[in-house]
Amino acid sequence: MTETAGASPLNILVCVKFVPDPNQLQADANGRPDLAGAPFRISTFDENAIEAALQLGARHGGRVYGVSVVTGRMPPRDVLLRALAMGLDALYLVKDETNLAADPYRSAAALAAAARAVRDAEKIPSWDLLICGEASADQYNAQVGPRLAVALDLPAITYATRIEVQQGRLVANRAVEERSETLETNLPALVTVGTEINQARMPTVLQVMGAGRKPIREIPIAELSGFDAQALGQRPSLRTIDVSAPPSARKRVVIEGKDAAELAAQLLSRLRADGEVKF
Amino acid sequence: MDGANILIFSESSDALVELLTAGRALCTPAGGRVIAIAIGPTATASAENCLARGADEALVLRTAAESLPGAEELVFGLREAVRAADPDTILIGATRIGADIVARLAQALEAPCASDCMTLRRDQDGNLEIERRIYGGRFTARQVLTGRPRIASIQRNRYPKAEPAQKPHGSIRELAVTLPPPRVRTQATSPRARSAVDVTKAEVIVAAGRGVKKVEDLALLDKLAGALSGVLAGSRPLTGDVDWLPTDRRIGLSGQTVKPNLYVACGISGQIEHIVGMKGARTVVAINNDPKAPIHAEADYTIVGDLYEIVPAFLEACERAKRP
Repeated sequence: MTETAGASPLNILVCVKFVPDPNQLQADANGRPDLAGAPFRISTFDENAIEAALQLGARHGGRVYGVSVVTGRMPPRDVLLRALAMGLDALYLVKDETNLAADPYRSAAALAAAARAVRDAEKIPSWDLLICGEASADQYNAQVGPRLAVALDLPAITYATRIEVQQGRLVANRAVEERSETLETNLPALVTVGTEINQARMPTVLQVMGAGRKPIREIPIAELSGFDAQALGQRPSLRTIDVSAPPSARKRVVIEGKDAAELAAQLLSRLRADGEVKF
Repeated sequence: MDGANILIFSESSDALVELLTAGRALCTPAGGRVIAIAIGPTATASAENCLARGADEALVLRTAAESLPGAEELVFGLREAVRAADPDTILIGATRIGADIVARLAQALEAPCASDCMTLRRDQDGNLEIERRIYGGRFTARQVLTGRPRIASIQRNRYPKAEPAQKPHGSIRELAVTLPPPRVRTQATSPRARSAVDVTKAEVIVAAGRGVKKVEDLALLDKLAGALSGVLAGSRPLTGDVDWLPTDRRIGLSGQTVKPNLYVACGISGQIEHIVGMKGARTVVAINNDPKAPIHAEADYTIVGDLYEIVPAFLEACERAKRP
């Protein structure tokens, strides 16, 4: 390894989204998502983003901050603490109660302004690295990371499956459809990650409780310098007009039988009767 | 808007000719032109293919490099194409490269963008209305993009490939653009392991999930796939977190969307990420030892049991039935 671990500590900002857990989200009587009924969680890939940042921080020293734009309802405190319990030094929340940052363009604008605000508040000369999940678990636009890179004029590597910092450069592996690549860029840079990069740590209940001593700082979006809500309001937008659950028409037949052979025979006869198996 | 220009781009030539169909469908009775953009080493061939399939124009941006430029340089080139074509809508194939560049292009143009769209249409106000999956695929959102240009990335296999035109009429326009030097440099690149089969065309799919304990055990499921004249595929844990199957066999939101006649999910819990990829199957069988696994709710036939007992028994039943 040619790394100069510890020689130059890194200041890393992780963008975190708190989302209603899609796996626990149910449709209401009208087929609309019952958002109030689903518990919040850290968006899946953002857990990997936090983990990736913490691993770099452990190796090179430095500090790891989290920033989140909270549009609408505030996630419960234990979910916020969970992000801190993983190991973030502090969590900044941009409070957006009136949905000013509701589409990817506006979210990226808010995060760009917040990145500068957190940098100044923490007296950091410059971020070395920004890490985002490759997409959010709720909207899955996969836009905010690359958009944020453009907004901050940073080089970006998306879909990284392994990252390293070597002498002021970010080296990353990633996989796109046709090929695997090893890419490098100078810091500061932005990288987006998915589940392939690591297994995110699971803080214990005790760690979550202990994280209560770490700072959670709220910034009302209206006070965010550089986020011009009025000007952005005039710009074109992506607006959701309806959300519905396609009805599932599955038969949901539970095959019964006393042993594997009988279950298998039952299944085969069902599939033959349906014409799905032709022998 | 009459005579609106639709600009289409994908680094994948297959995706590009699907976008040709999607773009044509957005043209109004009053007119509209579909303009393909081709960048990089295969630009001329790609442009000619689009023109042969009825594109109204093809913008060609030649590059010195032997390989496809990086996302940042591609976006620089696309912005030149946007200046040249003045499109009201930009459609891009929803590959990983496509997902990256739509977002960057949208930010650079301060434009709205919808990712991974399934359907597109022009609403009565001339805005672009799209449908896409959200909340991990459990729900479908209808969304509207206002203003011009607006950008959408389109899922693969949603629109048929444009057929060769009776009378091709479009022509090539060269764009003289020098791309900026890359800030992200490529150290190494290697082709990914590719499957001999295309899971999106399979009539029967046997899909393996986290319930499969060892890579060697996939042979059993592959045998079952063979007995059913189908192919083996897998969920994200088996095609990403570990490299047991090539990524082009991943079924789910971040992989392939399939519509087989029969889908046999073995040891797959049924995270939404996966369900969205196999929802279109005609008949679904779930074999999983966890009675609470969400896959059971998405199946026509459910066996609650150990796949290591059920799959060999089912394989044997199939083989016995096939014997003369």
